[in-house]
Amino acid sequence: MALNRVGVVGTAQTELRPAWSGAQHIDLISSVVTSVFKGTGLSIDDVDFVIDSGSDVLDGRSISNCGFLGALGAHHKEEARVEEDGLWGALYGMNKIRSGGSAIGLIVAYSKPSESNVELYWNAQVEPFYQRPVGFGQRAANGIQAQRYLAASGVTLQDLAELTASRWSAASENGGVAMDGLPDIEAILGSGEDAAPLTKMMFARPVDGAVAILIASEDVTRRVSRNPAFITGAGTSMDTHSYAERDGSGLKSAKNAAAMAYRNAGWTSAQADIAEVSGSSVVGELLAIEALGLAEANRGLAATQDGKTRINLSGGALPADPIMATGLVRLAEAAKRLSQPEAYVTGPRRAIVHGAGGVGMQNNCVFTLEV
Amino acid sequence: MSRPVGIVGVGQTHHARRRTDVSQAGLVREAVDRALADAKLTMDDIDSVVIATGPVLFAAVNQPEKWVVDAIGAQGKSVVRLTSGGGAGFAGALAGYYQVAGGFSERTLVVAYDKLSEGQLQYSISTLYDPFWGREFAVGIMGFSAAYWRARMDALGHTEEAAAMVAAKNRNNAIANPYAHVKKAVTVEEVLASKPLCWPIKLLDVPPISDGAAAIVLSSEKMAHHSTSRPAWIRGMAYCCEADNAAERSLMLSEPLAIASKRVYRAAGITNPRRQFDVVEVQEPYSCFELNYYESLGLCPPGQAADLVASGATQLDGDIPVNPSGGCMGANPIGAVGVIRLIEAATQVMGKNETHQIKDAKLALVQSGGGWANLRGCAVLSA
Repeated sequence: MALNRVGVVGTAQTELRPAWSGAQHIDLISSVVTSVFKGTGLSIDDVDFVIDSGSDVLDGRSISNCGFLGALGAHHKEEARVEEDGLWGALYGMNKIRSGGSAIGLIVAYSKPSESNVELYWNAQVEPFYQRPVGFGQRAANGIQAQRYLAASGVTLQDLAELTASRWSAASENGGVAMDGLPDIEAILGSGEDAAPLTKMMFARPVDGAVAILIASEDVTRRVSRNPAFITGAGTSMDTHSYAERDGSGLKSAKNAAAMAYRNAGWTSAQADIAEVSGSSVVGELLAIEALGLAEANRGLAATQDGKTRINLSGGALPADPIMATGLVRLAEAAKRLSQPEAYVTGPRRAIVHGAGGVGMQNNCVFTLEV
Repeated sequence: MSRPVGIVGVGQTHHARRRTDVSQAGLVREAVDRALADAKLTMDDIDSVVIATGPVLFAAVNQPEKWVVDAIGAQGKSVVRLTSGGGAGFAGALAGYYQVAGGFSERTLVVAYDKLSEGQLQYSISTLYDPFWGREFAVGIMGFSAAYWRARMDALGHTEEAAAMVAAKNRNNAIANPYAHVKKAVTVEEVLASKPLCWPIKLLDVPPISDGAAAIVLSSEKMAHHSTSRPAWIRGMAYCCEADNAAERSLMLSEPLAIASKRVYRAAGITNPRRQFDVVEVQEPYSCFELNYYESLGLCPPGQAADLVASGATQLDGDIPVNPSGGCMGANPIGAVGVIRLIEAATQVMGKNETHQIKDAKLALVQSGGGWANLRGCAVLSA
C-alpha cells in the first residue's frame, strides 16, 4: 500500500542562547509558531494538529504543555506531548500525515535549561535503586565513552579540541547561536576537566531556544513550496538502560535507527550530501557519525574533515544543545539547506538527520530528507 | 484512507493503593506480559512500543521509559513516551494508533502506568499551574473542579444527587471488577452524607489513588488474525485541547470533547450516539465529570445529564451502560486510566469481558482526558 509522502514546508528557530533571561517559555514558543508560516501562504487555521516536545523537569512544571497550548497555537486542535527530543515529535507527525488522517501538522520543541538544573535532569533519568545512589549520570557516561573511544581509535585530546573548535566556528558562520567570540583550541583544552578525559567545552552546551517545523502531505507540500524537502525515511531505536551492558564500541541503537531509515529511503549514508548529527559530547558526535554509517568504527574524525558527506554545517549540538529540541533543530537546518540550495554552495539533494535522548545517547532517531 | 487498526490483546495489573512488591518497571512488566499472552505474541513480534505515564513528578523518575525498557525486553525497538496528565494512556494509544495507521509499524504495544504511591499526588498536580500567577492559590485539581461543578449545578442542573448517583453506580459496578481495588457497596445517600472535601465534592465523589499499569497490542489488519478472530477495531479516535486559562472558559460543555466526538462520530458513522452505542467507558476523575461527559458526548442534550442518570439508562441493565467496569471509582492509576478504559471497551466488543459483559455489545464509546479538564478525547471501537 502506497503511503502518503510528507514534506517539510516551513521551519523557524529562535536564536539559541545560553540564557533567554528576558523571555518566558511561551514567548520563545509563540515566536517560532508565528514565524514558521512565513512564505507558505498557510496560517495556524490550516494546521490540523500540534505536537510538542519539552521536559516537565526542565520546565519545573507538571504537564507543562498544558500551560503552553495557546502559545503553541493548539487551541481546539489535536495536541500531543512527546517527552523526548522533538525529532520524535516529527516522527509522530509524519505517521499522522502518512495515515491520511491529517494534512498539515506543526511540530514544536523548546528548551529553557537556564532556568533549571541540567545535572539533576540527567541524574533523575538514571535507574533509581542501583545507579542513582552511586552518582552515575550523563557526565560519567560520556567520560567513559570518551576514554574507551580514545583508547580504541588513537584519536587525541588535541583532535577532539580541534573538532570542537571547528563546530563552534561553523555555528558562528551559520548564525543563530549566541556566543562570546570563538573559543580556540587552548580555551577548549583549558576549560576544566568535566569528566575525564573530556573538558567542559567538549560537552554539548545547553542553551535556551525553540524550533518549529511545519510538515504537510505531498499534495499540500507541492502547492505551497517551491523546492520542498520530503521525509523519505525514519527510524528509531532505544538501547538498554544499563550502561554497563551496552556495546562499548558504538551506538547500537543509532545503527538500528539508521538502518530502518535507509531501508525506507532506498539509499544509504554513502549517498548523503549532508548530515546533521546530534551528540552529547564531541565523542558522542563521533560515535553517532560512525553509527550512521558515515565512517567506519573509530574513523569518524576523518569523516568530519574530508568526508564526501558534509557533516554539521550548522555546527551541530556542541555549541548549542537546546535539550529536547536539538534533533528537531538538526531537521530544520537540513531542510533549509535542501530547500534553499542557492543560499549554500553545496546545493545538496539528500540529507541525514539524527537526534538522541537519554544518558549516553540511549535513544536514537534518524530521518532521511530529499529534494 | 487510513489503514485499519485493531486492538488484538489486552492486559492490566490488579490495581492497588500501594504495590510495595514491585517497582514501576515491575508493574509495567505485569501488564505487558498479560497483553502479549492475550494476543498470543511475544515481544519479538512487536515492532514498536509506546509508553505513557502521567507527569514525571508523580513518581520522581525523569523519562522513566528509558529504565522501563529493560524490564519489558524492548531494547533495540522503537520506544517513545507520551505524556498528557490524566489522559496520558489515551494519548499514548493514539500515538500507537497512528504508528500502525501510518505504516510505521504492523504491531505496536502501548503500555501506560502510574505508581502514585511513590509521590505526592496533589502537590505534583499543583505544579501544573502557572508558576507566577496560578500556583499561589492552586491546591491540586479539586478546587478548580469544585468551582466548575458548582457553576454547572446552576446552569445545567448537575445536582449533588445526580453526581451521587454516578458515584454509587460506578462504585457498585466496581465490585465485580477483578482489577479494581475499591469494592464496597455504596448508596446514593451515603455518597451525599460523606465528608465534604471541597464542596460540592465529597469523599465518595472522589476516586482512589492507585498503583497500576495497562497494556494493549495494536495491530494492522494483515497481522490481526494471528492474535484473535475478533479484534476490537478502532473506528475513530481523537484527542483535542482547549488553550484558555480557567477564568476565560465556560466549562459548561467540554469544548475539546465536543470537537473530538464530532470528528470521531463522523469517521465512525455515528449519528445517534445514545441509540447506537452498546456500552460506554469514561474517565471520571470526580463523579460530576461523568455528567459533563454525557452532554459533551451527545448521549443527552445539555441540561439533561441529571435526568439521564436518574432514569437508570446508564446502569448495567440500562440501554446505554456507562462504566460497567466501575470506571475510576474502582481504581485510578491516573496515567494508565485511558488504556484501562480502552481495555474495558475492547473486551466488551470482543465479547470476552471477564465479569461484566454487556450482552451482544458490538459498538463501544471510550472517553478519556486530563490537564485542567482541557485535554479531552474519545474513541469508537467495534467488533
